[in-house]
Amino acid sequence: MACPFCGLRPLEEFLFRKTVPNVGTGSGVGVGADADAGASAYAQVYLRVDSAERSVEEWQHVAGCRAWLVVDRNPSKGVVRSVALLGGAQ
Amino acid sequence: MVPGVRYGTRLKDGPVRFTFDGRSFEGRQGDTAASALLANGVVWFGRSVKSRRLRGVMTAGPEEPCALLTVGEYPNVVPNVPATECVLHDGMVLRSQNRWPSLAFDLASLLQWGGGLFTAGFYYKTFFLPGWRTFEPLIRRLAGLGLAPGPEAADSAANHPPAEEHLSCDLLVVGAGPAGLAAARVAARGGLQVVVVERELAIGGETEFEESVIDSQAAHHWLKAAIASAAARVRQGSRNPRRVPRPELGSVRVLLQTTAVAIASDSVVAYREGNEATNFRIHARQVLNAVGVQEQPLIFVGNDLPGVQMQGAAERFAALYGWVPKEPLVLFGNHDRLYASALRLRGQGARVVAIVDTRPFNANSDHLRDGAGADEWRRAACSLLQAVGVECLTGCTVRVAKGSRRLRSVEVVATGGTAHTREIRCEALLMSGGWLPRRALPVGSVVGAAAGALDLAAAVASGHAGGVAALQQSGSLAADAELPLAPLATGDPSPRAETYLRSPCATHEEKRQYLDLQNDVTVADLRVAIAEGFTHIEHAKRYTTLGIGTDQGRWGGYVGAAILADLQGLPSATVSTSKDRPPLASVSLQAIAGWRVGESFRLVRRTPLHDWHVAHGGNPEPMGLWFRPRFYAVNGKDAATAAVVEAGRVRSSGGIADCSTLGKLEIAGPDAAKFLDEIYLSRPSTLAVGRSRYAVQLREDGMVLDDGLVLRLAEDRFLATTSSGHGLHVLSHLEHHRAHRAGLRVSIADVTDCWAVIAVAGRTVADVLQTLLGRDPRELSPMAFWDWSGLVQGVGVAGQGGQRLRVLRAGFSGELSFELHCSPALALPLWEALQVGGLEPYGLDALDILRVEKGYLTTSEITGQVTPLDLGMEAMVTKAGPCIGHELLQRPAFHEPQRPRLVGLRAADGQSSFLAGSQLTVGPADRVPVGYVTSSVFSAQLGETVALALAARDVAPLGTVLWARDPLRGREVQVSVESPVHFDAAGERLRGRY
Repeated sequence: MACPFCGLRPLEEFLFRKTVPNVGTGSGVGVGADADAGASAYAQVYLRVDSAERSVEEWQHVAGCRAWLVVDRNPSKGVVRSVALLGGAQ
Repeated sequence: MVPGVRYGTRLKDGPVRFTFDGRSFEGRQGDTAASALLANGVVWFGRSVKSRRLRGVMTAGPEEPCALLTVGEYPNVVPNVPATECVLHDGMVLRSQNRWPSLAFDLASLLQWGGGLFTAGFYYKTFFLPGWRTFEPLIRRLAGLGLAPGPEAADSAANHPPAEEHLSCDLLVVGAGPAGLAAARVAARGGLQVVVVERELAIGGETEFEESVIDSQAAHHWLKAAIASAAARVRQGSRNPRRVPRPELGSVRVLLQTTAVAIASDSVVAYREGNEATNFRIHARQVLNAVGVQEQPLIFVGNDLPGVQMQGAAERFAALYGWVPKEPLVLFGNHDRLYASALRLRGQGARVVAIVDTRPFNANSDHLRDGAGADEWRRAACSLLQAVGVECLTGCTVRVAKGSRRLRSVEVVATGGTAHTREIRCEALLMSGGWLPRRALPVGSVVGAAAGALDLAAAVASGHAGGVAALQQSGSLAADAELPLAPLATGDPSPRAETYLRSPCATHEEKRQYLDLQNDVTVADLRVAIAEGFTHIEHAKRYTTLGIGTDQGRWGGYVGAAILADLQGLPSATVSTSKDRPPLASVSLQAIAGWRVGESFRLVRRTPLHDWHVAHGGNPEPMGLWFRPRFYAVNGKDAATAAVVEAGRVRSSGGIADCSTLGKLEIAGPDAAKFLDEIYLSRPSTLAVGRSRYAVQLREDGMVLDDGLVLRLAEDRFLATTSSGHGLHVLSHLEHHRAHRAGLRVSIADVTDCWAVIAVAGRTVADVLQTLLGRDPRELSPMAFWDWSGLVQGVGVAGQGGQRLRVLRAGFSGELSFELHCSPALALPLWEALQVGGLEPYGLDALDILRVEKGYLTTSEITGQVTPLDLGMEAMVTKAGPCIGHELLQRPAFHEPQRPRLVGLRAADGQSSFLAGSQLTVGPADRVPVGYVTSSVFSAQLGETVALALAARDVAPLGTVLWARDPLRGREVQVSVESPVHFDAAGERLRGRY
């Protein structure tokens, strides 16, 4: 997997954390900000779009630079579409 | 030729002596066990796993399903070595497998007299009553393959782990046959660094025996020369001043006896067997699979008899080891290569009596070779062979191979039906059902025979083209590069896998049409599988065990799948074989483990006091990655007795414990307080500098992740401790949250290794510390700490020279207790100074006793399935601000009366003991537990076993009596539910009031 900082690194260095629930609506653990926080927190934890073609996930380059990453990949083909820094856009 | 002397390309001068099942044999240097034993007239090599039928050598390569040997003397044995892969050396000890007491007479094979006993599903159906466990020991004795090495073997010098080597290259070619070498040659000439892996002992593939020509040279020599020149150019390049070395000069490195077995992340894993066993990780920009083809068997009754062999195997034995069957020989197959093979084998002294070719002449279905010349070539070959007395039976098939313990004759019928049968006496039968591509790595492209280019000319051209394509793709192909032309080659006629499945036979004979020789799977078993509904190949495979042996279905896997389809009336073109999974070839576990054994098995973390513990009977044991002493031998012979002594000493006077394994994270920055408020339930932002607080963090779903202390070091700096096993996980968790809160100015540092922690607990510790520090530590209010600077008596000066000491009044023993956080260099002098003061060390087990007595959580309560409400932390939850997981604590499910609740337990009779893991039930005969015991210790202080448990709150209010049931350890104890705090509930000791 290509880490934005370290380049192409073996998969063993990365740690999967979670699937981002609603692809496209961004991420976040729902602390404080949201008015409808309860429902949002529930959605963050429990609601998933299980798609064979697209899965957006949070990974950490845990045995490398320790950056948290958003990995967009195609699970059925095992292809990583993109790797971006988590929270990098903010 | 000298009579009786074998000539083979792999053989060298000089004898090799070895034993097989106790008998001494002599072979030649370079022989494999198979070739040497065959040359010695040995017919039986082993018995099959299930029905214990005698078996010979079927193939000449790693796909060998029958002749598996155990090599060496116990305990240094290697089981399941294919005799065909086992290169002999002097004094080798070989044994056949799956026989008792001897190969020729096997008791278990008598079981077969029942006839068809071990059909598919036999075990499941037969040993159902009175219970599988009754029969399991007997079945386990009969089952299994070979003898595993003994435990002593691991330590022996002969058993050193294989080396590990990482290689990088532009192009990895898998297979050093004609196609692979043609590709490597052109790619290296074009400037690529090429690595070729070849599972065989020599390069060349089929050209080792095929009469073939490349560019007017013997093919085998041409290939050797091509690679030698590519390798030599690299060496000469710098020495020869006339030849200006090009920086991009290519090279070829050939790894023999090396099998590429899997893809691991972005590299190819390959294992080299033999003396220089190596585990290669090959990082290649491109991969070419030139893995070649696998000869397919033909399925007829008795096709497992010793004497039946693959035709290609016989060719290899003849050319490489100079062995051909001396007995009357029949060739049976469905393609033209039979005829070329018959001529060659005859030339080497085989007595070929007949060729049985399933294809009739002039049939429209003769699509084997394009063009009209196909039949003519075969007719010419037939007349040539018939002239020398070889009978050519076209349009015929071998229906039955006869013989009880070895082949004696074959029954041949016309393919159209069973009307005309005749019997041919023979003791050897070579069969070939055509060739199919071998399994390739799931990466890169495929060239050569594996891509369908079955004859030599096509294979070489395909490999060459693959090499050129790799050059083009690499982008390093210079415009003026002079690439060699594609070589021109001619060889044997092309064989192809035709859709010939099996010879006709009656249904009752199908139980001797073998598809998997190792597991005795027959066509009859496939019928059973279909009848039971296992119609898909993946299901049928698991039900019948087709292809689950060490050969992984290389021999009959494809044909088996095709027959499975055929039996169901499906066209075999729709066949899919079972999924290939790595490793593609059998690999020893030792090879996979490599150097990761013993001390290198995994990462180890040791505390600064580790050596002291070892020297003083602490015997540190692994706890996660850490090593911690459970008890000190001086206090008792085992953990149970010593821990009681150690815990008792803490309660009566005082003790010290090494708690350096606690995770320690420093969180700093202007927004650190805000950040931690979002992590922890207990609002660290409200802490005063110099004070600490017990803090619990939740996962996003509201479950407790970890607990620990948070210390406020400065307005913008905190230290958070985590439980020993959770440090790295909590660090990730914090970093994750920080990534989501990119606006917060906060940094996180793992300072676990920067601080040793010594817990000091008991009524006498304040005096000891006062002596060391010169100040009464009782001046600290609970949960407050000092960053100490100044002299520490007998230890050194803290607060300068990078040596730091922090004295924190906190602990989890229920006594007046302190945590001394210090720089690792201070740890040992401090530890020893405390002992001079009269404090004795206690271990992890004593720590657990102290915690459970006081109802403090151990790791056993934080299961990942409990909320803070379950653990009785309602007050903390109520006071908490918004933090991770807090909102979801409102979920109704977390407030149901069946939710677990942390409770204390004692035996109702006040003396029985019960262990962690016991299930709690309301009545003595209830089958549904309402909870379970998480921690249980014997408290010498209280004189009985006390425990913590998670029990459904609706059935376990205080005072209830439940059953703690532990059937596996034979205990059933009535227990009463109490407060988790068993000892000093008022917390007087904690305040230093003794």
